[in-house]
Amino acid sequence: MSDADRPDDQPHVPATTTRRRALMIGAGAGAAVLSIRPALAQTAGSVLACEIPVPDPGRAGSFIAPDGSTVPAGTQGAFAPPGRAFKGEEVKRALAGSQLPGTSMESNRAYVNYIRRLQRGQGGFTCFASLQMPRA
Amino acid sequence: MIYRAPPADALLVEPLDAFTAIYHRPSGQTHLLVEPAPEILEALGPDGLSLAALRAALAERYDLTGADDLAERLDELVAAGLVSAT
Repeated sequence: MSDADRPDDQPHVPATTTRRRALMIGAGAGAAVLSIRPALAQTAGSVLACEIPVPDPGRAGSFIAPDGSTVPAGTQGAFAPPGRAFKGEEVKRALAGSQLPGTSMESNRAYVNYIRRLQRGQGGFTCFASLQMPRA
Repeated sequence: MIYRAPPADALLVEPLDAFTAIYHRPSGQTHLLVEPAPEILEALGPDGLSLAALRAALAERYDLTGADDLAERLDELVAAGLVSAT
C-alpha cells in the first residue's frame, strides 16, 4: 500500500519513528538488575556450618593414629574418635594453628592429620576442600 | 553527580533473549539485567553522564515509556556495583 492509498483514519507514522524502539524506564516489571552471588561467596557462609566427622561414618568407631590413619579400635598409641563431628570453623582455626575443642595436643595433631588426609568421597572431604578456598 | 559504567574490558556481556547476562570481572559477580539496565550502561559509557544527560541520551535513541524511574534504575545499578556515581 502506498502512502497515497492509506486511509485517512490510519495515522501516518514517519519512518524514523518506526525504527525507534520503546524503552520502559519505569519499574513496571520490578527490579532491572538481579545479581548472582559468586559460588565462593556462598560457600563462605556454609563453611562455618559444615561438619567433618572423625573418622568418617564408613569407619565409625576406628581409632585415629598420630599420623592420621585410621586403625582398629583399642590400638595402642592411637586416639579414640572425638565423639562428635568438628565444625568447619573449628577445623579452619585448627589448620591455622589452634586446637580442636576437647582435644589434647596429641589427639589434636592426630585428628588434624586425619583431616588433612581426607580424599574425595570420604565424609567431610567437601567441607575440608571448601576450607582451602582462598576466599572461604 | 556523574554516573559511569565500567570500561568495556571489565565486562563480559551476553544477551540472552529477554535478559542480558553481565559478568563484572573486577568483582567476579554475574548480573542478570532486563530493560532498561543494559541500555543505561551502554548510554553511560566509561566517561559517564549526569542523570539529565542520560535521560536525554536515552530519549534520543528510544521512545521512553512508563513512569520516569530513571534515578531508581541508576540506584539499582550503583548498588550492584555496575555503575559508579561521583
